[in-house]
This record gives sequence, C-alpha cells and structure tokens, in this order.
Amino acid sequence: MLLRCLIAVFLCLALPCTVLAATQIEISSPGEQTIPLGLTKLLPDQGPRSARIADEFDEVLGADLDLSGLFRFIDPQSFLDDAGRIGLFSTQVNFPQWRLLGAETLIKGTYHLDGDNLVVEGRLFDVVNRRLLTGRRYVGQVKDVRRMAHAFADLVLKELTGEEGPFSSRIAYISNQTGDKELWLMDVDGKRPLRLTNHRSIVLNPDFSPHGKEILFTSYRANNPDLYRKEIYTGKEAKFSYQPGLNTAGRMSPNQREVALTLSKDGNPEIYLISTSGRIRKRITDNWGIDSDPTWSPDGGKIAFVSNRQGNPHVFIADVFTGKKTRLTTRGKYNATPAWSPKGDRIVFSRQENGRFDIYTIKSDGTDERRLTFGPGNSEHPRWSPDGRFIVYSRDKDGNRAVYVMRADGTGSRRLTSLESDCRHPAWSPRW
Amino acid sequence: MSVIPLRQVNTFHKDPKFGRLLLVSLVIHGLVWAAFIGDWFGSSSRPKPPVYYVDLIHKPVLNPQAGRPDPRPSKKQQAAPVKKSVATPVAPKAVTKPEVKPLVKPVKTAKPKPVPKPDQRQEKKVQSAIDEIRQRQAREAERDALKDKLAKLRESVGAAATVPADVPVGMPDGTGDEVGVSALAFVQAFIQQNWALSPYLLDQSRIANIEAKAILAYSSAGKLVRYRIDTPSGNSQFDDSLKKAIIKSQQLPQPLPKDLELVVIFNLKEMAATRR
Repeated sequence: MLLRCLIAVFLCLALPCTVLAATQIEISSPGEQTIPLGLTKLLPDQGPRSARIADEFDEVLGADLDLSGLFRFIDPQSFLDDAGRIGLFSTQVNFPQWRLLGAETLIKGTYHLDGDNLVVEGRLFDVVNRRLLTGRRYVGQVKDVRRMAHAFADLVLKELTGEEGPFSSRIAYISNQTGDKELWLMDVDGKRPLRLTNHRSIVLNPDFSPHGKEILFTSYRANNPDLYRKEIYTGKEAKFSYQPGLNTAGRMSPNQREVALTLSKDGNPEIYLISTSGRIRKRITDNWGIDSDPTWSPDGGKIAFVSNRQGNPHVFIADVFTGKKTRLTTRGKYNATPAWSPKGDRIVFSRQENGRFDIYTIKSDGTDERRLTFGPGNSEHPRWSPDGRFIVYSRDKDGNRAVYVMRADGTGSRRLTSLESDCRHPAWSPRW
Repeated sequence: MSVIPLRQVNTFHKDPKFGRLLLVSLVIHGLVWAAFIGDWFGSSSRPKPPVYYVDLIHKPVLNPQAGRPDPRPSKKQQAAPVKKSVATPVAPKAVTKPEVKPLVKPVKTAKPKPVPKPDQRQEKKVQSAIDEIRQRQAREAERDALKDKLAKLRESVGAAATVPADVPVGMPDGTGDEVGVSALAFVQAFIQQNWALSPYLLDQSRIANIEAKAILAYSSAGKLVRYRIDTPSGNSQFDDSLKKAIIKSQQLPQPLPKDLELVVIFNLKEMAATRR
C-alpha cells in the first residue's frame, strides 16, 4: 500500500513537468505605438449646410488629437461610403468597413444650424468591439465652433486615457505686438489671441492662480517691478506686492492662501511667502546668493527655486515647513526657470550649455535627467499643461522669439505664435 | 504456535529488508526528482536580463518561402529540365517558320492576277485573314522563344542551387519543409502586428513594469477557438488594447500545422528600453 502511495506521489511530481511545458511566448512591444483613428467630418443632420463649420471643427479637433501623440489618422482619401453617412449610434455605423481600413477608433459627428445658433454632436466609437465609447452634444453660437472642437478633444482623451485633455484651457504670454510688452491670452493652439493689459510699459513673468480665475504678473508700470493680480473675466486689476526692489515671479500656492515670490527689498533677491493681501508671512531663503524663480510642488509642501549659492545658478528645493534646502541639479553652468509638474514627479527647467539654453526635465529626487530640446536657438521659460502631458516654452531662432508647445517627452513640437512679434514667458492655465 | 505473517511466506520477498530498501530507494528518487524540478533558489523569480529578440526578418507573410529554389526535387530536376530543353526549343522553331512562308506567299502572288473587280471585298477579307494568321504565328513564335529562355534559366538555376534538401530555413527551429516560418513565431508576429498601444495612454513611470498574461487556443485552421486574460495588468487601457489585439487576431491568414494553445505574456519592456 505504502509502495503504491509512493508511486502515486512520484507520478504527481513528474506529471506537472510535462504540463508546465505549455507553449509560452512573450510580446514585449506593440506592433503599432499609435491608435489608428478614422476622423470623419461633421455632417449636417438637418437645416442648412456649412462647409466652414465642418472644416473648422475637423481642423481644430485633428490638430488637438495629433498633438496628443495618441493617434494615427486613417487617410481620408481611403474613406468608404460610411464616412458620408450620419452615424450617431453604433447600429448606424458600418464597423467592418472601418476595420477594413485598419481603424480601431472612429469619430463621427453632426451639426445643426439654426440662425446664429449651432448644435454639434460628436461621437467616439470603438471599431473593434463595435460600441459607442462616448459622445456629447454642444450648443452654442457659430463662433464657438473652435471651443466645441477643443472640448470634444478633451472628452476623447478622457475616454481613452482616463484623464481629460488640456485643450479647453488657455495660455498667457508676453508679447510686444503693440510695441510694448503686454500680457496676452490665447487658445492652446495659438488662435484667438486677446490682449489683457495696457500698461505701456514692461510686463513679465505671468502665472495663473490654481482656480484659473486670476493671473499674477510683474509690471514696471510704476517704474518698479511690482506684482499685480488681474481677474480674467472682470478685467479688474490690482497692485499686489510693491516692496522696494524686485517683486517678481509670483506663484500662488496650490491652496491659494499664499504667494511665493522673489523680493529684493533688503538688497539681495530672496524667496518669500506673502498672503493674498500682500503682507509678508515667511522668508524661505536667507543666503548671500541670488534666489529666484520659485515654483510650488503640487502638494504645497515644497518650493523649487534657482540659486547661485554654490557657484553657478542651480535648481534647489526648499521644504516650506522645515526650511531644509537640497540641491536638485548638478550639471550645466546656468539652470533657470524651474516648473514643477502637476503630477509632482518631474521638474522642467532650462539650462545653458555651449552658449545656448535648452529644456530639460528631472525627477524631483534629482535622478533621470532628460534633455527635451535640441537644435539651434534658445529654448526657455518652460511650463506644464494642467495634465502634465505637454510643455509650453519660448524659443528664439534668428532673433525672433515665439511660443512653442511640445509633448512632455520632447516630441511633437509646434509653434503657436507668429514670428513677427516677440512672444515669451508662457503660462498654461488650469482647466476652465 | 505464533502465526507466520503472510509477508514472510511470500516467496518473492524473502528478505524482510528488501521492501524497506525499495521504499527508501523510491523516496530518495522522488526527493531527487523534486529537487530537480523545484524552484529552490528562486531562479524563476530572478529578473531576466534585458535582452530582446528583435525579429526584423520573419514578419508574418502568407508564403515567405515563395520564390526560394525548392531544394527537394533536386534529384528529379536533372531529368526534367533535360526533357524540356530538348523538346521545347527545337520543336517550335522548326515547325512555325516553314509554316509561315508557304501560307503567305501564295496569297501575295495571287494579288495582281484577278482581273474582275467585283471580288475586291472578298479579296480584302482574305487579306485580313492572312494578316491575322501572320500575327498569330508571330505571337506563337515569340512565346516559344520565351519558353526556351525560361527552360534554360530553370536549368541554370537548378544547377546553381546547391542547397541540401533538409536544410533548416526561416527560423532556428524550422525544419525546411514548412511553408513559412515556424508557426509559433508566425503567431507571435501576427498578434504583435495587431497590437496597437500608444505610450501616451499610460503612466510613463509604469511602462517598464506593466505585464499581462493571456491564454489563447487556435485550431489547426488558424481560428481562435477561445481566449482568456489570465492575469490582467490592472491598467484598463493596457488590458483593453490586448483584448483588441486578440480580437483582431482571431483568424490567422494561414492554417497552422496543428492545434495550438499559447500562453502569451504581453509587456512593454522593449518599448520602455527604447524610450529611456
């Protein structure tokens, strides 16, 4: 009996060897690193037809989705008859036709014009699983068609990635288009520029408050670099910090109770915290070196800043509560304008090497430094999009400085402002 | 008076220690076997070295060996081309050329003779028929010449092909008589080709560690019989892309040598390495 038991045990041990030898393969990279997307033009569901609306919606949506880097667009020349048919429901879409073209996702939509009012409906379909992923109806005026397209692009990104896109937000920047350096606001694709200040002086270094309703900026309007705050919707403006000397690089804390800025009231530029009424609350740095360009960590517990306390200008991190400072960057002769990512994992900054500034990112623990920009010209003033997917920055080439945007890995760079005027110091608003 | 145990009566196991020794032997064998197959030192949990096999050549094509000189019929090749080379080149030239001239000339010479004009239509008809025949014959001659050339080429290729009949081709585990690459590599490449995933869909810091395991069963006809995501990655975007890749791979473009059950591990190690 015991013998039989042992044989059984022996067999039990031996058998799994043959079972475990099942065929196993490993696929360590997808064949395609983009999602094939069929992007069809809006079709009129009723009422008058307007090619301009369909074209503009298509152009804006296509540009936003292209910037995201997520998609490969199926060539519209290869579209079959389903592209010309209205399909707002999955039962109305000929999915095999789109599978034939290699599409995995499909965007269809309709518009309806009623005088000056416009109703746009957009749908995102999963071609492989033959189902509707998301859709929305936008009601507005004809002039709002760009905003509708941006909003739909945000929705598409939210559906596919779980996080909304930043395309409905806006970008503030400084431009000398009128002859003076004034504060301007534009869409994420560089369209619809709007001048916000008329100081007829020098305005610089803007930043949005975390809720996006206000912009902080420095202006020489009163012959001193004072810090101003401006309400975007009402246009109300107030001088906020006007200590003697520098009042620059104001950055509101994530909880919106304090503003970190550079003050040189005692002669040497240092980082301070002031209340929203402008009263000084705390001095963050106290060193013989120049300390400037503060940026908050998303949790509000740390501030990264630039200091030349150890020789060349480098990025340091200060703990707001303990006051402890740690050095972040170690390379390069000149590191400047740091900005903490909204996710908190990386810090973007510009560095001068070989007489030229380029954009770099580094993990907040000082590891994994990556260079993002290459080629001629100085790339400076980098700032993150509210979702951390993109970086906006200024770049000069042949003496013309313009605002550019790129993905957070340095790919897909594109110019947003014209080269005719000097545009710099961009700041990306939170989601509106 | 004591009862003799049955074991002692058994003639086969005369020695009472024999059974015990057998047991001990079996136990030791079992333990050795267990030690051999067991993962005592955690070798399987050790991270694999980051070496990736990049298959640049064996992408799934329907018949990748098409055009390759077939090494097998090399024995027959010697006989077959000889026949063709003797029969084909000579026959057409000898037959066609003499046929053309006698057909054409009598008609041409007949042309100036006719005196009565009412037969002009008929004459034209005849002329066009002759032209047609001439053209056809010319085409046939051309075709025959091409056939000759082709036969000669085949002959020369057959002589040049020194590939032994049983040489492994395509893949290291190829046998030389398969149509295409090894079935496993073919399926792997096909699924990979159908897998579309943008790195921007994922948290960049997680790319290197994300992994999922799926079990796929293909029939010999190349049809996906069943599949199951055995160990999902936990990232909905990643898992969704896998499902789509599997659905897109539910019919292979060519049959398999036999039914195939696969454990497919999907990860982004190669992508992470290239994005570093």
